Amino acid sequence: MIVPFGHLLILAGILFVIGLFCALARRSLIMILLGVEIMLNAAAIAFVGGSLHWHDMEGQTIVLFIAAVAATEVSVGLAMIVHVFRKTGSFDPVLFDLLK
Amino acid sequence: MAHSPCDIWTLPALVTGTGAPFVSFLCTMIFTRRRPRLSCGLSIGAVSISFAASLFLLVCHWGMEAPIHHVGRWLVSSDVNVPFGFLVDPLSLLMLAVVSAICLLVQIYSLGYMAEDPGFSRYYAFMSLFAWAMMSLAVSPNLLQLYIFWELVGLSSYLLIGFWYEKFSATQAGKKAFVMTRAGDVLFFMGVLLVLVHAGNLNIVEINGIRGAEGYSQTIAALSAILIFGGIVGKSAQFPLLTWLPDAMEGPTPVSALLHSATMVAAGVYLFARLFPFFSLSPAAMSLFLAIGTLSMLLASTMAMVSRDIKRVWAYSTISQLGFMIMGLAAGGYFAGVFHLTTHAAFKALLFLCSGVFIHHFGTNDIFKLGAEGSTRFKTPFLCLVTAAGALAGVPPLAGFFSKEAVMGALLEGSSPLWLVPALVGVFLTAYYAFRVIFVIGFPGRSAQTPTAQSRLFPSEEVHGIQAAHYRVMVGPLVVLAFVTLFLGFAQGSLESFLLGGEGRSQGHSGAVHGLVAALALSLAGAGAGMAWWEFGRKGATRKGLVERIPALYRLFSERWYLDHIYRFLMDRLVDRGISVLFLQNDNRVIDGTIDGLGKGTAEGGRLLALLQQAMIQYRLMAAFAVVALLTASLFF
Repeated sequence: MIVPFGHLLILAGILFVIGLFCALARRSLIMILLGVEIMLNAAAIAFVGGSLHWHDMEGQTIVLFIAAVAATEVSVGLAMIVHVFRKTGSFDPVLFDLLK
Repeated sequence: MAHSPCDIWTLPALVTGTGAPFVSFLCTMIFTRRRPRLSCGLSIGAVSISFAASLFLLVCHWGMEAPIHHVGRWLVSSDVNVPFGFLVDPLSLLMLAVVSAICLLVQIYSLGYMAEDPGFSRYYAFMSLFAWAMMSLAVSPNLLQLYIFWELVGLSSYLLIGFWYEKFSATQAGKKAFVMTRAGDVLFFMGVLLVLVHAGNLNIVEINGIRGAEGYSQTIAALSAILIFGGIVGKSAQFPLLTWLPDAMEGPTPVSALLHSATMVAAGVYLFARLFPFFSLSPAAMSLFLAIGTLSMLLASTMAMVSRDIKRVWAYSTISQLGFMIMGLAAGGYFAGVFHLTTHAAFKALLFLCSGVFIHHFGTNDIFKLGAEGSTRFKTPFLCLVTAAGALAGVPPLAGFFSKEAVMGALLEGSSPLWLVPALVGVFLTAYYAFRVIFVIGFPGRSAQTPTAQSRLFPSEEVHGIQAAHYRVMVGPLVVLAFVTLFLGFAQGSLESFLLGGEGRSQGHSGAVHGLVAALALSLAGAGAGMAWWEFGRKGATRKGLVERIPALYRLFSERWYLDHIYRFLMDRLVDRGISVLFLQNDNRVIDGTIDGLGKGTAEGGRLLALLQQAMIQYRLMAAFAVVALLTASLFF
């Protein structure tokens, strides 16, 4: 492996923080979903790196699982967002206060 | 000791004698409520069995030396053992005989009096219950059993006083009797507990065997005696709690007769006699009892002087005679008190039963109306009434004379002969009000004031006519009781030796002083009767009592010394404004506060917990990440 393992982890970390920031700071449901997606991918990069580093295929298996979960999550999440948009006419998460 | 038939049959006689009325009560209540004839037959049969059994026991154990116990274990709690059973001694045998005899006569009388009453079966059931409770009380060997039957006596008198429950005043009177006696019973029960704590058991014979030296301090003895006396005050209608008895006249007249002679009120005096040796441990308490007896006697006599209601006059006289008995007992005259209880049972039952004939016929309780309507037409009842009133007043050959003299003798020998003075005043007042009733009823129409016109407005005979058969049934017991009243006094000597365990106390006091007191009492009784004759009996009498001429005094006496008003006032002040207010605050603040606090606490807690969820979705996400980050950090450090 040409790229050192440490660099990969740093990239994954940076991506995770970017995703976290996106999920926490943006006031839009789509951007929150996007942030979660980025975080998942950051985790996937870390798993791939680890798999190459220790020559163990289990890491790559988990990445496949993550990809599947992410796809599901996006489809369900988008469906919910569409539903919410039809109800409230907005993507603002502040409007979700029915539990109050 | 050889097994004579007496020894063998004592226990069965006790069990059947006291148990038969209870069986009859149960049968009547469960099976024969709709069949009045069967009910009264059952009840009278049961009480006859009791009477026969008590006579048998009395004859068997005449002159017995030591009390006989028949007990079974009933309640054991660590070292406290409460047996249940029978105690046979002269006092309980005498009481058993008196109670069963009076019950039997009253029940026979009721056949006429209560005929055609819709509650006939119920009446006989309650009468049986009453008889059972009182007889079992008489033979109770320990205070707890006595207390149980004591309360049962109270219950059955409540049921009988409020027997005509459609009448509002009757239910009120029943309630009053129940509540007022209960006030005394609370004290009684506290006294019983005190005795239990300090003496270790409740056996009457053992309690009576306590001597001052045996680690039983004088104050505790006095305190428990006074507490137990509280129950006697309630039951026997003594000074602070005496107003329930006149109101108890709302019940049927035979009930009053039973209540006033042998059962309810006699239970109090009986308890005094039962615990007499224990009570006499504390002279201070005895002086208090003497004072209470005296006070009740005088108060009730004055009330009786002005009442126009014949039953109420006799009710007041009961209170005053009970006070007299308690005076006798408290002065140390054990026999005198018990003897007066016995004779009083006979003549007081007679008084009420005679009055019942008139009341039943004329439908009024007013002595002036009874006189104007011509009660003297009923020759036998009127003669019996005169006999009984004579006994009440203490006229020589009658029973009341002997027992009153015995009480006087006890007072003379007691702690201070000064107590004789109120007793003599009481004798005078008693003779006055007893003969006032006789003269008002016996010599009507001698003055213009007789309210004949008024009574014609209310022709109550139509409601209450006596049929000849009923009349005969009612007169029978009267005659029997009149004979008992006539001759019971002569049994004084043998009764005395029986009660005092064969010793036959020697006449310790000087005969001359005693004779003087007797003569004084007799002349005072004569003066009372004479005064009654002067005011009510003689030709052209004003038919207005001495007291009625002084309006203030008259009001005081007829309002019963404002005792009821004082109770009302105290109730308002203490209960309604004092205790109830505290209870209200307790209810509002403590109970409501707790429940409200619980509810509010739950709601507030829910609101607090909801804060975790109701915030914006991203804050929660942030919190989740923060927690994960902290956990991760904790892995490294």
